[in-house]
Amino acid sequence: MESTRHILTSFESALDNLRQDVLLMSSLAIRSLENAKAGLLERDEDKCNTVIADDGEIDDLEIRVDSEGIEIMLRFHPFASDLRNVIAAMKTSVNLERAADQCVGIARRVRKLLLHEQIPETLRIEPIFQMAASLFHDAIQAYAESDIELASTIKARDKELDVLNREFADALTDLMPQNAGHIRAFIELIFIARSLERIGDQAKNIAEDTIYAVTVKDVRHTLKS
Amino acid sequence: MPAVLSEPVSSDFPTTVNTSTDGRPDFISIQNFSFFYGAKQALFDISMDIPERQVTAFIGPSGCGKSTLLRNLNRMNELIDGIRHTGDIVIHGHSIYDPLIEVISLRKRVGMVFQKSNPFPKSIYENVVYPLRVAGQKTKTILDETVERSLKGAALWDEVKDRLHESALSLSGGQMQRLCIARAIANRPEILLMDEPCSALDPVATVKVEELIQELKSQFTIVIVTHNMQQATRCSDKTAFFYLGRLVEFADTQKIFANPSNKQTEDYITGRFG
Repeated sequence: MESTRHILTSFESALDNLRQDVLLMSSLAIRSLENAKAGLLERDEDKCNTVIADDGEIDDLEIRVDSEGIEIMLRFHPFASDLRNVIAAMKTSVNLERAADQCVGIARRVRKLLLHEQIPETLRIEPIFQMAASLFHDAIQAYAESDIELASTIKARDKELDVLNREFADALTDLMPQNAGHIRAFIELIFIARSLERIGDQAKNIAEDTIYAVTVKDVRHTLKS
Repeated sequence: MPAVLSEPVSSDFPTTVNTSTDGRPDFISIQNFSFFYGAKQALFDISMDIPERQVTAFIGPSGCGKSTLLRNLNRMNELIDGIRHTGDIVIHGHSIYDPLIEVISLRKRVGMVFQKSNPFPKSIYENVVYPLRVAGQKTKTILDETVERSLKGAALWDEVKDRLHESALSLSGGQMQRLCIARAIANRPEILLMDEPCSALDPVATVKVEELIQELKSQFTIVIVTHNMQQATRCSDKTAFFYLGRLVEFADTQKIFANPSNKQTEDYITGRFG
């Protein structure tokens, strides 16, 4: 984090506004994930509807962040850490918007599940929700605080989430032959778990962009975590 | 006498141009160089190697010493009373302070373009050939060839070829500056020093001069002082940041502007001071 302010106060304001909008998007995206989880586990259709309704605001913020970032680059020609932070903000907003879209997908599937009685297997998805939410929250925190130590943990944890997702899908698939009446529900749950896995991927992207912004190290597509 | 830098004033027209493709990384070697205006020290122990046939930019806030250092590269500061220096500046392996060096010959090899263009109140043709006439060159074919070569080299030939005998003062600001560049390269120097060459020009003229700098670097080693950091990123291969008479950081331009090593450099280029 920079310890001194820019001489040009309008530049400082523009950077602050950009950052605040990304953090606002983050809050909304986290809230959408929490509402999607509550919608499923507490069988609350209103929470699902809230997720779907909030998505428009998140989409608008993505457009605004892009516009603000481009204006900063045009007007102020940022260099070094300023340039990296502007680019990180724009890339993070894309990942937040995609995560929010996954939450919308989850909410739509949950609404279908709520038309029927809850099946016991629904509760098996809770650890996946927990892990995805924790990953997403920590990636955003790492971005907000430029915490590369925290950001460095995200990749390995995302791999664990991938494993959990695969195990969950395999388990439900194995149950299908004996539970023909629940196949539709199982499929919805498998897709919900897949959306959570995708949210983990967005979190990983946010963490990688944070690491680059702070350290200038590009850790994308590296084999080791 | 060191062959490269020492010539009698009335020498034959120089024909040697360095066309080798391998540039020396220490073509201009500034070695523990300090400079004083009377009692006031303006430069503190500067050491850096400027590579051959690349563009090196000097940046820094006003009063940091970048123009002072530039003017030392061809000993222009000796026109000021009371100056002194310690350390050395070595060009192409020869100290420019060698007592055998004639400073006039040095300035033929190390040309200079100033912030405010300064064409002489003569014709365009006479402005370009002036350095050759001073050197005693009278052969018309050689003078004509020099004019065409130099004006083409300065990307000005097409605009003035039909009016070479008109006054240079009738040119636009950007054309005048390019004429000054043509005059500077007429004697085939090895080095071109440019002290904020575009600061008095409009954006279109600035672009033309910047493009010209990119073309000229295949033949000349160019050192440019600029306050315009975007210009430094567009034009230069290496950048040196100065502050209060000291060299703070010197590296590839991309490194300086994307990921400087020194916090002072980062604070300056990001506008946190200056």
